[in-house]
Amino acid sequence: MGIKINAIKCTNCMACEMVCSYHRDDGFAFLSACIVAYRAREKKDYFGVLLKEEELLVVARPEGLEINKIGEEADPDKEADASAKPMLLREGCDLCEDMDDYGPMCVAFCPVDAITLD
Amino acid sequence: MEYLSTDKILVIDLNTAQVEEEDLSDSLVEEKIGGIGITKYLYETYQDDDPIVIGTGLLTGTTYPASGASQITAKSPVTEKLCHCPIIYKLGLEIKYSGFDYIVIKGQSPKPVYLWIHDGVADISDAGDLWGKNVWETTDTLRNFVGDDLLQTMMIGPAGENKSDYAQVCYNHWNSPDRFGFGKLFGTKNLKGLAFRGMGMIEVAEPEDFVERSLEILKEIKENSFLEKQGIAPMLTALGEADVEEWIAPVTHRHSADYFTPYASNTALFLDEDPGLLEESKKEEPGILVSDIYALLGFKKLGLSAMDTGHALKACAKHGIDPFAVATLSGKESLADIEASLESITGKLELPGQGTFTPWCPVGPVFNDFGLGCEQMPAWWERRQALSMIFGIQPMFALMSPELSEANMLELASMGTELELTQETLDAVINDICG
Repeated sequence: MGIKINAIKCTNCMACEMVCSYHRDDGFAFLSACIVAYRAREKKDYFGVLLKEEELLVVARPEGLEINKIGEEADPDKEADASAKPMLLREGCDLCEDMDDYGPMCVAFCPVDAITLD
Repeated sequence: MEYLSTDKILVIDLNTAQVEEEDLSDSLVEEKIGGIGITKYLYETYQDDDPIVIGTGLLTGTTYPASGASQITAKSPVTEKLCHCPIIYKLGLEIKYSGFDYIVIKGQSPKPVYLWIHDGVADISDAGDLWGKNVWETTDTLRNFVGDDLLQTMMIGPAGENKSDYAQVCYNHWNSPDRFGFGKLFGTKNLKGLAFRGMGMIEVAEPEDFVERSLEILKEIKENSFLEKQGIAPMLTALGEADVEEWIAPVTHRHSADYFTPYASNTALFLDEDPGLLEESKKEEPGILVSDIYALLGFKKLGLSAMDTGHALKACAKHGIDPFAVATLSGKESLADIEASLESITGKLELPGQGTFTPWCPVGPVFNDFGLGCEQMPAWWERRQALSMIFGIQPMFALMSPELSEANMLELASMGTELELTQETLDAVINDICG
């Protein structure tokens, strides 16, 4: 079981980022989220979702999914997003195992169902 | 103020370059709730200094759906009335997380400055190198300087520096809902703008109940069939403009939403790039993000193609001028003539109702009818605008979703703050704002 992201459906609203961080911090923040809406290419309207799992960094781009094993060298042809570096310092996704009533918060709160449970 | 708040009001005196902080008291929130309830109070407190007051809503940046907005309250230099302009995209959210609920900007700086607000710190910085740059250049310069592409800005361009009546305060690279000439006010104060970045945390009194109720409301919202649509064109279709979707389709790239807003009301037009491109464009500035339905419609009604409309909107965003005013008042009908007219837009725009709220939002509901009759519409619209700007709700979505009710906004605000916020208090605050 894991998180499945459809970057084409994503509207870059950041709800996933907020509720993921809430799950970690019991307050409203963005600092601890292991899923983030990357949005640093604003003028190019290029956005998607980054997810840090236990050993993998999942990059859901509009053109497709990229999965990198953490610790291995990333594709040198792809410029890292500003959101990527802090992600590596955060805890990996635990599928909100302590949130019995919800399951993964990012799935529950995505307003456009771009994030689902695989 | 312990919850749903940074507990800080920032007071900046541009005359003396002094920066002070005040606490946000529970009693003020109990009396005025938040957002424009409090920005109006702060405006009146400091009115001898012709202040600009920036404020977040009480629910801004929470799990309440569409809670991404903040607002600017100031006296319009064009109409001389006290007006409220929503702060949208991701900027409204960033203000609260940068460490302040309210920012009062008093007086006039002797030289160009900008305010750099980050992680609970506020600096008045020299804007000598920014003065003369357009909105896009300014935002790019600051993001490069700070080394953070997520920096959020509220800036003026040449129109504001030259004190055009329709100068707009722009958000990041994009036009804003400002129809009040707030850009002129910034220019008059020698204020190039504000830049925000923050990694703060907002405490909530009853987090589990707050989040649970938020999700229940979101689930109700998701029952709406209009959420199958996206972007700016379907809103115009719903408002009776039948052929916009076909007209705009050849340049439409993607749609995006403001913070946690279920309807993606911003549409990116690609002008120098294939609109169907899914990869990152190699061009630095392939298009324009459009949130202003009436500016888009205004250029369309002049006979411009969607491509030329996109270029006109882009020119307005860079120049920092209200594109609706340009479409309405320029008297020009070709892209070249419109672009050449940006320095000389004059005339008068009609503002609906008492002129307090921006007609960037349609004066009535969108997609849903809210059970309203025509005669109820103007009063309902003003109340709905006031409500969205008290609590920090994306104002366009507030016109779409009856699920965002006065009752549940009050319920979550009370739950989140542990304060007793009643319907009577809300009615009094709205009456104070709307008269």
